[in-house]
Amino acid sequence: MQALRTAATGMAAQQMNVEVISNNIANMNTVAFKKQRAEFQDLLYQTFEAAGTQSSDQGTIVPTGVQVGAGVKAGAVYRIGTQGALTRTDNQYDLAIDGRGYFQVLTPSGETAYTRAGNFSINDQGQLVTQDGYQVQPAITIPGDATQVTVSKTGQVQVIQAGQTAPNTVGVIELATFVNDGGLQALGGNLLKETAASGAPTTGAPGAVGVGTLVQGYTEASNVDPVSEITALIVAQRAYEMNSKVISTADNMLSTANQLKT
Amino acid sequence: MDNALYVGLSRQIVLQREMDIIANNIANVDTAGFKVESLMQKTDPGAPAVTLGGPKPVKFVAPDGVARNFGQGSLNSTGAPLDMAIDGQGFFQVQGPNGPRFTRDGRFTTDPTGKLVTQGGLAVLDESGSEITIDAEKGEVTIGPDGSMSQGREAVGKVGMFTFANQGALAKDGDNLFKNVSNLQPQPATDSKLRQGMLEGSNVKPVLEITRMVEVSRAYESTAKMMDSTADLSRRAVDRLGKAN
Repeated sequence: MQALRTAATGMAAQQMNVEVISNNIANMNTVAFKKQRAEFQDLLYQTFEAAGTQSSDQGTIVPTGVQVGAGVKAGAVYRIGTQGALTRTDNQYDLAIDGRGYFQVLTPSGETAYTRAGNFSINDQGQLVTQDGYQVQPAITIPGDATQVTVSKTGQVQVIQAGQTAPNTVGVIELATFVNDGGLQALGGNLLKETAASGAPTTGAPGAVGVGTLVQGYTEASNVDPVSEITALIVAQRAYEMNSKVISTADNMLSTANQLKT
Repeated sequence: MDNALYVGLSRQIVLQREMDIIANNIANVDTAGFKVESLMQKTDPGAPAVTLGGPKPVKFVAPDGVARNFGQGSLNSTGAPLDMAIDGQGFFQVQGPNGPRFTRDGRFTTDPTGKLVTQGGLAVLDESGSEITIDAEKGEVTIGPDGSMSQGREAVGKVGMFTFANQGALAKDGDNLFKNVSNLQPQPATDSKLRQGMLEGSNVKPVLEITRMVEVSRAYESTAKMMDSTADLSRRAVDRLGKAN
């Protein structure tokens, strides 16, 4: 019976939905995490009787041929890149992006990865690095005797060194933007990778046209909304249950057929 | 008398098909822009069953067609700027590999060149049937209720919304797409409103589907029972006639 297989696709899709939702909830407090959503699409249709296209009346219910669908599939899981709230941390190396763009990070494999998590620190050589120790690109080195570090909205990093009064510019942080942010591939560790779907990055100074600005002393919170996630979880669970009900009903019908006296 | 078995069988075949359709509805309870379907039945005009001395006419039951309810699904806010929902009648037109397709699933995004596409990568078409390109650097996209898109003060295109004089012209093609299988031409949907940042949910009503499922399952059982008692009757008839000799 087709109904059994159809319901199984429904259960598989809802299971994937629950996995995506639980990942969102688990990352509720991850810096600059972008929530994801599972996409559903109906599967192919089998046409048993071609459409005669007989219209009933002007109502919305329209008769067509006998087309029976094969269920549902989880198409894609995509990220919703809306801005997360900016949270004050007062840490001078914490940077948040207000608007579009990604920090560029050099991974150990030599590739450039992209992140919006600006909870940076400095390593033993004074370089600005992520929490995993990956260098921020273009490289910024803070002198050891710096008493104060300021990062302007446009990415200018200035330090006041001991015994001096005038600030000294040590570098400019550039941001990368993509035509299709949703096409970036998540690598884990808050990092994203360029793909064919995202297109090549365009780098620019913060505050330029189409690039967000930097805010020092803040980090970007995740854009997960717990209430809507919990609601989605309830819907997913009920939908899963409903599909399992279809399986047991279809099973009952088959068992009825089997019990026919011969 | 044997006809009762075959009439019952025809009913069971229809019920199974109906069950398949209900299963598909329930599987797509969370699919954006999905339109609920139900099976229509008819008495089979081609093959009237003959009864010897029985009440006339006896007819078989056959599937007649699928009734697709194009009623509005619930609109859910997602906040994603390129999510669009149609409030009212009509469809978005997308460019499929085998010609234009129609959909109410408005989860759009851009491809690496800035072209507005569906999640499956099909280009979304504007009113005149051409592709729409967005320059992400020009800032936020805002979309008016008539589908016109703008970035800042600059107009960048108008998302087309189309409707058909008879929606029976559309057949489902999978992947949330509908295909025009008639020679009707799509007309611009002028009365419908496009809602940005919203998605149209599936218009499947779970309670209704579960109720119909129970109905189908019970009808199947009672048909089976009817077939059982028919078989019983013939068995007893054979028994008695056999004794008489």
